[in-house]
Amino acid sequence: MSPSPTILRTGGVGFLFEFERAWADLVGSVLRGPLAWALARHDIASRYRGSILGPFWITLSMGTMVVGLGVLYSQLFHLEIHAFLPYVALGIVIWSLISGLTTEGCETFNQAAAILRQTSLPLLTFVWRTVTRSLIAFSHHLVIVVAVMIWARMYSANYLMALLGLVVVVANLSWLSLLTAIASARFRDIPQVVTSVMQFAMFLTPVFWRADQLPKRGLILTYNPFYYMLDVVRSPLLSAPQDPRSWPVLLTMALVGWGVAFLLFAKTRRRVVHYL
Amino acid sequence: MSLVAVSNLTVRFPVYGVDSRSLKKHIARAAVGGRIDRGHVGVQNVTALNDVSLFLRPGDRLGLVGPNGAGKTTLLRCIAGAYEPDAGRVEVHGKIASLLDMSLGIDPSATGYDNIRLRGLIGGTSPSEMARKIDEIAEFTGLGPYLDLPLKTYSAGMQTRLAFAVTTSVDAEILLLDEWLAAGDADFQDKAHERLVSLVERSRILVFASHNLEMIRSYCNKIMRIEAGQASPIFDISRLDELLAA
Repeated sequence: MSPSPTILRTGGVGFLFEFERAWADLVGSVLRGPLAWALARHDIASRYRGSILGPFWITLSMGTMVVGLGVLYSQLFHLEIHAFLPYVALGIVIWSLISGLTTEGCETFNQAAAILRQTSLPLLTFVWRTVTRSLIAFSHHLVIVVAVMIWARMYSANYLMALLGLVVVVANLSWLSLLTAIASARFRDIPQVVTSVMQFAMFLTPVFWRADQLPKRGLILTYNPFYYMLDVVRSPLLSAPQDPRSWPVLLTMALVGWGVAFLLFAKTRRRVVHYL
Repeated sequence: MSLVAVSNLTVRFPVYGVDSRSLKKHIARAAVGGRIDRGHVGVQNVTALNDVSLFLRPGDRLGLVGPNGAGKTTLLRCIAGAYEPDAGRVEVHGKIASLLDMSLGIDPSATGYDNIRLRGLIGGTSPSEMARKIDEIAEFTGLGPYLDLPLKTYSAGMQTRLAFAVTTSVDAEILLLDEWLAAGDADFQDKAHERLVSLVERSRILVFASHNLEMIRSYCNKIMRIEAGQASPIFDISRLDELLAA
């Protein structure tokens, strides 16, 4: 017989203890991975319930956007569409993962308020739910990328590097998502702030313009974390030269970011349920 | 062995974004509710539970009585592990089923069946176990073809039936019940009562918060009175009247 599940909750006994509890939350949330997956699937299914195409609306709406922007910008910038469309498609698809995870992160705890108030489920389960949900949407978007790349006859690419790039991007976006989740639970202005910032960031990031169109590689790119996120996934797929700074920057960001986010989580964990 | 051990539990709610002092004074003067004091800037603290201790062994069926806002639900939520104590300690051994709020994990646009599955998962039942139980749960709700319709088309009573059926389908050692059970029509009330009695019998420990003394008398063998966050010791049910008069 397996030992009975146990709940132990105590008052504050110093930060080290809080850290330990936060770690236990993390471990518990990983063990409950299937729950996060089930919740994420449910979210996607319920968003498109009753529509004929179902989740493939994600694909279709992304497709129209990619084609529209690709055609328009290739004319505006006088670029060859076979080279430009894959670039734009990847740009928009990766960007939608970035902005999706940060903006939906804001709803992570608010959406789960009823559950958090009466169960002992780990808080991080709901962060993984948001991450998984975004990845499910992303996988639907990939259909567009594949279609465009076949159309452009780009078959050879460094898929392994792109996949590793995706992993490090998601690692970064997860802590960002945790951060926005905690901040938006506490301060109701944060979701609006995040939405505005992400919109602004989209224009400053080479999503549908090319980095080499900038007069010189300016500060806009150097201090833009999202530029590196795009670069690390997109360049290997387009067999384009990669910015040598991308990997070091993203790895450092993932480590420091998770460190900061986890400390904040340890500090606020017991309060989050009261924020809601 | 199942047990619930709560020692010197104190819970304070930070209330954020309430900057109206008059409201604070208003609540503080009222006879109901916990004690309110001023924390750091913009945050007020409501002391919902103050130095509460209790110890429950298998066979204990504790009824919680007390006015609105006394802290009954807060205590249940602490035992369920949702709220963290500010001081003191809560230790629970055994699988918990909590029927605190029927809106738990309910998605209004999903069908009845989807909601049963979802709620079961959140309650800690594995998907395969849920698949085995779903017919029995569906049967108990008595909702028949309605289970294929979205939950938003249900009346409040129908939603209660569904929530009740799912939550009570678990085999729990520790059962936490809050007031909301009093919905549903007479026919369902009887069924629910029957099921609850069997559930209470199967569980080892029950904590039940209610204003309905009749229900307390029929389910519980021990009693505790909570008022403004302060708890009395645990008494035998025979002293209920005495306790309420005090």
